[in-house]
Amino acid sequence: MNKPSMNPLSANALCFGSDLPAAGVPCHVDISSVGLSIQFSDLPRETVPFTALAVEAGGFDHDQLVVKWASNGVGRTVYLKEPALIVSFRQFVPPELMADLERTAVSVRRARQRRRTFLLVAVGSVLALVLALWLGFDALVRMAVARIPVEWEQAIGESARRELLAGQTVVTEGPAVAAVQEITKRLTDQIEENPYRFKVTVVQSDIVNAFALPGGYVVVFTGLLKKAESPEEVAGVLGHELNHVLLRHGLERIVKTLGLVAVVAIFVGDQSGLIGLAKRLGIELVTLKFGREQETEADLSGLHLLHRAKISSDGMIRFFERLSESDKLQVEMLSTHPMSAARAERLKAEAASLPGQTPEPFGFDWIKVQESLGHWEAGTL
Amino acid sequence: MKSEILYPGAFPMVRVDLASGECVKAESGAMVAAAPTIDVESRIEGGLLGALSRKVLTGEKFFFQTLRATRGAGEVLLAPTVPGDIVILELDGVNEYLVQKDGFLAGAEGVKIESRMQSLSRGLLGGEGFFILRISGRGQLILNSFGAVHKLELKPDQEYVVDNSHLVAWTATTSYNIEKAAAGWIASFTSGEGFVCRFRGPGVVYIQSRNPGGFGAWIRQFIPVSQ
Ligand SMILES: [Zn+2]
Repeated sequence: MNKPSMNPLSANALCFGSDLPAAGVPCHVDISSVGLSIQFSDLPRETVPFTALAVEAGGFDHDQLVVKWASNGVGRTVYLKEPALIVSFRQFVPPELMADLERTAVSVRRARQRRRTFLLVAVGSVLALVLALWLGFDALVRMAVARIPVEWEQAIGESARRELLAGQTVVTEGPAVAAVQEITKRLTDQIEENPYRFKVTVVQSDIVNAFALPGGYVVVFTGLLKKAESPEEVAGVLGHELNHVLLRHGLERIVKTLGLVAVVAIFVGDQSGLIGLAKRLGIELVTLKFGREQETEADLSGLHLLHRAKISSDGMIRFFERLSESDKLQVEMLSTHPMSAARAERLKAEAASLPGQTPEPFGFDWIKVQESLGHWEAGTL
Repeated sequence: MKSEILYPGAFPMVRVDLASGECVKAESGAMVAAAPTIDVESRIEGGLLGALSRKVLTGEKFFFQTLRATRGAGEVLLAPTVPGDIVILELDGVNEYLVQKDGFLAGAEGVKIESRMQSLSRGLLGGEGFFILRISGRGQLILNSFGAVHKLELKPDQEYVVDNSHLVAWTATTSYNIEKAAAGWIASFTSGEGFVCRFRGPGVVYIQSRNPGGFGAWIRQFIPVSQ
C-alpha cells in the first residue's frame, strides 16, 4: 500500500485530496516559521512554504482552518481543528496570508456565536413565552422589531422586491420616473435621521397602488400615476407609504405572522433564520394587510411629512376621499390598505390643526407626465 | 470494546463485548439483552442541561444509557427500533460526524456526544428539527439507518444533493446547505414541502435507502380512522 496512512494516536489533522480516501487521511501537522509540515506514518515529512498555501474556514461550524496547496500537481486540503495548531499558524503566518486568516477568524468567531445561540434559543423561547403572556404578544413584537438591524430589513425588502418585480416591466426613464423621483426626494429630504436609502421603482401596470417595502424599497405602479389627478395625490400616497417603512409596519406584520420563532430569532441575532423565514412567506410579504392602527399612524405621519415638505395635503385627502367612494380604485389599494371615509375625515381635522403655509409646486408638468404613460384617463373615475 | 454486527441486512443486531470496567453508551431502548455482569447507569451525558436539551428540545426519547461491565467482562446485545442496516465507524480523535438524531445507536466510552443546533434557517427549512448530534472523540460509533445504508464519498469541492429525510450522518468536514427541493424530488404522499441538502466535499455522507416520514405516510393510509 502506498497511500499515506498514520497511526491515529499521533494524528492531529485530516488530509484530503482527489487521490486520497474521501473520509480523509489522518496526518500529523506542525507549523513553523518555514511553513506547514505534514507527515503521514509511512511517508517522509513534507514541508510546504507559506507562499504555497491558501486558507479558509471550513467544516460544519466553519470552525476549522482549511489549508490548501498543490503537491506535485495534486491538490491537498488539510482540516485543522486543534486550537493549538490554529494558534501557531497565526503566530507564524507571513503578512501576505494574514488578510485571509483574518477573514477566517471572523467566521470562526461567528461559529462560536452560533454555538451560543443554541442555549440562547432555548432560554429565549421560554423567556419570550413568559414575556408574551405578561406583556402581550403585540408589545413583544414591537420590542423585537425595534431590534432588527437596518441591514436585515434591507435583505428582507430586497428579497420581497425581487419577487414583486419578477416578470414585471420596470419603467427606467422618462417623465414618470423623474416625477416620482422628485416627489420622493421632496419627502425624504424632510425625514430626520433617515436610516434608509429610499429606492424608487416605477412598474408598468394598471394596478392602482404603491408599496413601500422594508428597508426603503418603494414600488409605484403606473396605474396609480394615471389615476391620480395631481402630483400631490401621488405625494399623499407616497407620504403614507414611506411612513409604513419608517414606522416599520411591514416588519411588525412579518414578525407577527411568523410568530414566536421569529421573535426569538431576532433576539438571538439569527439573521439568516429570519430572512429564511421571511423568504418562505415570499410574495405574501408584499401583500400583507396593514392593521387599522398602522394605517392611521401612517396617514398622520404622512400628512406631517407632506407639511414639512411644503406639499399641499389637499391632494392626499382628495385621493383618500376618492378611494373610499370609488369601487374601481378600491380593489387594489384596499387589499393592502383598509380604507374608510373616516380616514379622510381624520386627515382633514389634522390638516386644519397644522400651521398654514404656501405650498411649493413641483418642477414638472403633471399633464405631460400622464401623457407619457399613454392613455390619459385622470378624472374619469 | 469490541462490536460485531449480527444478521446483517434488514433486521440486524450488534453484539458489544465489554472488558471488565468498560462501558458503552447506548440509545435508551436499544438494549435487547445483556450478560448479568452488566449494569445500567442512567448517567446524564453532557450534564443536566445537555440531557435536557437532548430530551426536551429534540422532542425525542433521546437519552443515553450507560451500560457498564461493573461486575466483570460481558456482552450486550443492541438493536434499533426500525428495520435497517447498522454501521460501525471508528473515531480516531481527528474525525467527527454529524448524526441525524434517529441515527445514533451506540458509542464507546471515549466517544463524545453533543447536541447541536443547526442554524434556524437550516432547521426550519430542513423540517427535520433544529437538533443534530455532533459526535467526536475516540472509539467506535454505531449508527443505524432505516433501510439499507449507502456511503457517498466526496472529494474536495465535489457536490451531491440528498433528500433530507434520507440523511443518516456526515463528516464535519463536509459543508452543506439546505435547499427547497425542485419538482421531482418530492414524494407524492408527503405534504409537498420537500427539502434537499446540497453537500460539498471533502468528506463522507451516509444515507438511508428508506424515508421514515414517507413510510409513515404510506402506513397511515391502511390504519382505519375512528369516527
Ligand atoms: Zn397603508
